[in-house]
Amino acid sequence: MTASPATFSATTPSRWDDLRADLRAFGAAGVKEWRLLRRYPSLFIGFLFWPIALPLAYVFQAQGYSGGQPAALDAFAQRTGTAEVAGFLFLGWAAYMWISMILWGPGTSLRTEQVRGSLEALFMTPVSRMVILFGPVVSQIVWAIWMFAVVGGVLVLFFRVPIGPIEAIRALGVILVAVPALYGLGALFAAVVLRFGEVSAMVQTVRGVFTVFCGMTFPIIILPVWAKAVALSLPPTYLIGDLRAVLLQGSDFVSLVPELAILATMGLVLCGFAIVAFRRTERFARRGGSLAQY
Amino acid sequence: MIEQLSAAWAVARKELQIARRYPLNLVNEVLQPLYQFLLPSLLLGLTFYVGGRAIGLEATTGTDDLAGYLFLGTVVGGLVGAAFWDMAFGLKREMDAGTLEPTWLTPTRPDTAVLGRAFSALILSAIASVLLVAIGALVFGADIARGVVAGLPAIVLASISMIGIGYLVASAVLMIREPNFFVDSTNFIFAMLSGVAFPITVLPPLIQPFCYLLPTTYAVDLLRYYALGTIPLLPPPAQWLALVVLAVVYIVVGRWVFMRTEHRMRVLGTTGQH
Repeated sequence: MTASPATFSATTPSRWDDLRADLRAFGAAGVKEWRLLRRYPSLFIGFLFWPIALPLAYVFQAQGYSGGQPAALDAFAQRTGTAEVAGFLFLGWAAYMWISMILWGPGTSLRTEQVRGSLEALFMTPVSRMVILFGPVVSQIVWAIWMFAVVGGVLVLFFRVPIGPIEAIRALGVILVAVPALYGLGALFAAVVLRFGEVSAMVQTVRGVFTVFCGMTFPIIILPVWAKAVALSLPPTYLIGDLRAVLLQGSDFVSLVPELAILATMGLVLCGFAIVAFRRTERFARRGGSLAQY
Repeated sequence: MIEQLSAAWAVARKELQIARRYPLNLVNEVLQPLYQFLLPSLLLGLTFYVGGRAIGLEATTGTDDLAGYLFLGTVVGGLVGAAFWDMAFGLKREMDAGTLEPTWLTPTRPDTAVLGRAFSALILSAIASVLLVAIGALVFGADIARGVVAGLPAIVLASISMIGIGYLVASAVLMIREPNFFVDSTNFIFAMLSGVAFPITVLPPLIQPFCYLLPTTYAVDLLRYYALGTIPLLPPPAQWLALVVLAVVYIVVGRWVFMRTEHRMRVLGTTGQH
C-alpha cells in the first residue's frame, strides 16, 4: 500500500481564520485548566473555605476593635462611608483573593509548563502568544465569579447586607471593567516570572504591596498622602472602592464613570505592556535558549 | 536519648543550612507576617480609632496598645506556622523530592528526624519573632519590650506542645495525598482560635471551648498579660498549669500517633507514594 501524497492548500489563512483558530485554542486552554482543577478536589473545598474564612477572621477582629463602643463604630462609619463592617471587609478580601488567583495563575501556569518541560513544545505550536499568555485565565474567570457569588451569598444570608439584583448587576459591571486591568497585570507578572524564573517570592511581594496600599481592610483616606498616591496608581484600589460603592453605598454606574474610566484605561495600558514584555521575554529566552531552563 | 537528640540536632543543622541557601525566603519570614497580617490589621484598627486611641480594643482587652497587641500575636502565630508548615508539611517536600524513604532507612528514627525539623523551625521562628518585636517596638511604638520577658516561659511551654501538634499534623500529611489545603486551612483555624489576631471572647460561645484546648491560646494570653497588662482569660496560675498539662499530653499523644502512622505506612508500603 502506498501513502497518498499530502495535499497543501495554496491559499494562506485569512485573519478571520487566525482569529477563529485562536478562539478555539482559548477554549481548549480553558478546558485543559478546568480538567487539571478537577483532578485535585481539595482545591474545590478551598474555593469555598477561603472566601468565607479569611474575611470572617477580620470581621471578628473588627468586633474586637470596636468593643461594642458606639463611638468606635461611628468612627468606622465616618471613615469608610458605610456602617456595614462585614460587607466592607468581605468585599475587600474577595478582591484580594481574586488578585491572588490572577497573580498565581498565569505566572505559575507558565512556570509549571517550564518545570514540566512542555513550555518549549508549547512555543513551537502555531498558536498565538496571546493564547499562551491569557489562555489559563479563562477558567479562572469562572472561579472569580464563583468566589464573588459565595461572598455575596454570605453577606446576604448571614450578615443581612441588603444586596438586590440591581446592586449585583452593578457589581458584575465593575468586575467586568476591572478584568482587563487585573489580567493585564497578571500577564505582565507572568512575563516577569518567565524572565526571572521565580514565582513565590514575587507573588508574595506584589500581593503584599496590594494588601498594604489598596484598602482591603481599611479606607485609603487614612493613609498618608504619599501612600494614598501609590494606592491611586494601582488598579485594585478602584476595583475595591467601586465594589463597595455599588454594593454598600447604593452608588449607580454614572457616579462611578470617572473611576471606571481610569480602571479601563489602566487595563488597556497594562495589557499593552504585558504583550510587549512577553514578546521581549520570549525573544530573550529564544536567543539565550532559556525557555527550558529553570 | 542523647544519641537521638544529637541526631535531631544534626537534622536541624542540615535544615538551617538549606534555609540559608534561600535568603529571600528568610527575609520573607519577617516581611510576610508584616504585610500580610500586621499592616492590614493595624490599618483596620486605625479605622476604629477615636481621638487617637483604640477605645474599642481597650474595652475588649484592657489595653489600647494596638501595635503591641498584634505584634505579640504574631510571635505565637509564627510558632503555629513553624509546627504546621516547617515541621509537618516539610515531610511532603521530602516525599516530592523522593528523599523520605531513604531518610527513614537510616538508623535515625523517623520521629527523631521530625524532631530535628521542629528544632530548626523553632529557631527560625524565634529569630523572626525577635525581629518582628523589635520592629513593633521601634517603628510602631509598641510598648512590649520590657514585659515580654516575663511571658517567655509560656512560649517555651507552648513550643513543646506545638512539637506534639506538629507530630499530629505530620501524621495527617503522611496519610493525605494532597495535604496543601489541609495544612493551610488548619494552620489558619488554629492561629485564629488561639487569639493571634483578635480576643477569643468575640468568637461565638459554641466555638470558644475549643480555644481552651490549644496551648497557644494560653501562651498568647499570658504574653499579652505580662507585656501589656491585658485582662487575662483565666487567672494566670491556671493558665500556667494548663500549659504544663497540655505540653505533656500533646507531646505524648502526638508522638504516639506519628509512630503508629509511620508503622502503618511501612506495613502497607505506602511511604514512597504521594
